[in-house]
Amino acid sequence: MSDFWVLARKEIMNLVRDKKLLFGLIIVPLILYPAMGKMIQVGFEQAQEETHVAIVNFDEGRYGELLIKALNVTPNVTVTVIGAESLQDALEKASREEQNVLVIIPSNFTYAIENNLRAEIEIYGIFNTIGTGMRESVSETRIRAVVDVLSEELAKIKVKRAGFDNPEAVLESVGAVSKSVIRGRIVDVPPSIVSSVLASQSLSLPLIVFLMVTITAQMSAGAVAAEKENKTLETLLTLPVKRRTIVASKIAGTAVMGLVAALAYMIGLRNYLGNFQADAGISLEDLGLGITPEGMLLFAVIVFLTIVFALALAMLLAVYAEDVQSANTVVSSVILPLAFPAFLLMFVDLSQLPAFARYGLLAIPFTHPIAAYRYAVTGEYQMMLLSIAYLALVGGATLYLTARIFSSEKVLTAKISWGKGKKGVL
Amino acid sequence: MKAVLVENLEKDYGKVKALKGISFEIKEGEIFGLIGPNGAGKSTTLKILTTLLQPTAGRAEVFGHDVVKDAGEVRRIISYLPEEAGAYKNLTGLEYLRFMARLYAKDEERSEEMVELGIRIADLGERLKDKVSTYSKGMTRKLLLARALMVRPKLAILDEPASGLDIINAYTIRKTIKRFAREEGVTFLVSSHNMLEVEFLCDRVALINEGRIVESGAPGELKDRYGAENLEEVFMRVIGVEIPEPVGGEGS
Ligand SMILES: Nc1ncnc2c1ncn2[C@@H]1O[C@H](COP(=O)(O)OP(=O)(O)OP(=O)(O)O)[C@@H](O)[C@H]1O
Ligand SMILES: [Mg+2]
Repeated sequence: MSDFWVLARKEIMNLVRDKKLLFGLIIVPLILYPAMGKMIQVGFEQAQEETHVAIVNFDEGRYGELLIKALNVTPNVTVTVIGAESLQDALEKASREEQNVLVIIPSNFTYAIENNLRAEIEIYGIFNTIGTGMRESVSETRIRAVVDVLSEELAKIKVKRAGFDNPEAVLESVGAVSKSVIRGRIVDVPPSIVSSVLASQSLSLPLIVFLMVTITAQMSAGAVAAEKENKTLETLLTLPVKRRTIVASKIAGTAVMGLVAALAYMIGLRNYLGNFQADAGISLEDLGLGITPEGMLLFAVIVFLTIVFALALAMLLAVYAEDVQSANTVVSSVILPLAFPAFLLMFVDLSQLPAFARYGLLAIPFTHPIAAYRYAVTGEYQMMLLSIAYLALVGGATLYLTARIFSSEKVLTAKISWGKGKKGVL
Repeated sequence: MKAVLVENLEKDYGKVKALKGISFEIKEGEIFGLIGPNGAGKSTTLKILTTLLQPTAGRAEVFGHDVVKDAGEVRRIISYLPEEAGAYKNLTGLEYLRFMARLYAKDEERSEEMVELGIRIADLGERLKDKVSTYSKGMTRKLLLARALMVRPKLAILDEPASGLDIINAYTIRKTIKRFAREEGVTFLVSSHNMLEVEFLCDRVALINEGRIVESGAPGELKDRYGAENLEEVFMRVIGVEIPEPVGGEGS
């Protein structure tokens, strides 16, 4: 085995055996996130169960009966007709029977319809226990839908009676069919749906990049600071191993763990978000926005280079910290502000920013994976190659600096430059 | 060939002058002691010899290799036990020895040999299979000494090898070093402020005080020269402190 593998293996073993780390990196995303999502989903499902509706019919004509029949045949709705003297009486009864919605059909319901007046029913959502209110709201929506259908049908009949052949054309004189044009191709999907599919992508990607960068940065800084804290650094630096190899093995070790963590977060997040957005049913591929293998490869290279940069920077910073805790503080205070602008890209399109803002954002390596993902989708590979060149340059320079500082005595004495050297005198 | 050659070595930590020009030599196969009080500059000297620190002025060689220009080569032939050191807490003692052996040995067979030797020196029995985080200070120190010696370096540099240990552990560690030097012919550079330890261990010593070497020679020779009963008295005479009666215990 080469020195590099021996060191990298130790690094990974050390991280894998760290229970706290393992909990935060693997257990939380793989178990806690999906569990949270499940809990919310259960809430949704409960809301989508049978709607129990109590109806009080004060109407004497035939349209009140018709509405009750229509509701009765509506799926997922159970109707209980209750007799009551007054609104107050009806509410009390409904409440006692644990109904969550009460519909009141007024006495002038049929009269109004027949005389071309606007008929109105009243819907009461009854909050017996203060929960999420989701049941009540779902029930209301269902009843409204039934009422809308009923009212549309009545309108059609009335319009027909008034002498129009095509009632639909009168009721909806102007219709709109929406389609999208993607990369010059017409797709039979409304822009709103395309936008929501894209939005869900641009929401989760920056989040994952952000998590990955901060987690791996903390890990690699921790790996350096722990050597100081546990007094293993001096021994490590006198081993017959090139300093470059030490730096590279630490980066490789934490990068492997970082990738595992990223995978865990990705799966966890997908499960978590999946609980909310299972409905769209349209993927990027369906929209003709699939990523080609070349695009995927370029994207992977960009993510890799970004992580290498983050790791090298974190190790460089960790040299100035005396223990793990202060390393975390130093790294957070430098990496977090740097990684944060990446979130801006969730809301703005790089190409629409003024030049200085665009280059300002692109100067920060962490924005590149997000921008690159969009370029991969749109097939602008030259832009991705530029990203790779830039990241290789910045990452290489940081790596060089880190290796340099590890080859000098600074790695042991750097804290002195903060003016509080306190070693030696006993 | 000289194992160690140090000439006019100086080291400044910012404003603090830790070494003000020290010179000494160590012959191959010797156990050489660097002794002096706290803050004298012992650790600083050792850190320069182990390539951890760069000298401000002067030069140092280990078996003819310059510690600055030839740092890589020096690291290949030395092994260093720092004054304050730990081992990787999440590894077991045995895993730690294996990890270290693999970095020194070029093949698996050699590395297993080293581990075997390490196991014997550490003398921790079954506890070697437990995580280092569960070890006492003395056990950790033994493990670290074992890892420093098992690689059979040409020069072993030990900074206060028995510091912080009880008398029994300190005794066994000194025994181990002495036996190892005799059996394996390894050259030792040991620092200490415990004069008893030094008298027991060392063939030759250098007394260091405030960044300067104030005296050197074999312990017996020094005692004769100053008409002293032990090295502690020698040291006091050398730095000009008059003591009416010898005081027992650790010198510092
Ligand atoms: N990292 C450092 N920064 C600043 N000054 C230092 C540093 N390390 C050591 N010194 C100073 O250099 C001088 C020599 O220290 P050194 O550690 O070499 O002493 P020592 O002989 O090993 O002492 P001890 O017996 O206490 O270990 C001391 O004055 C100490 O304060
Ligand atoms: Mg010391």
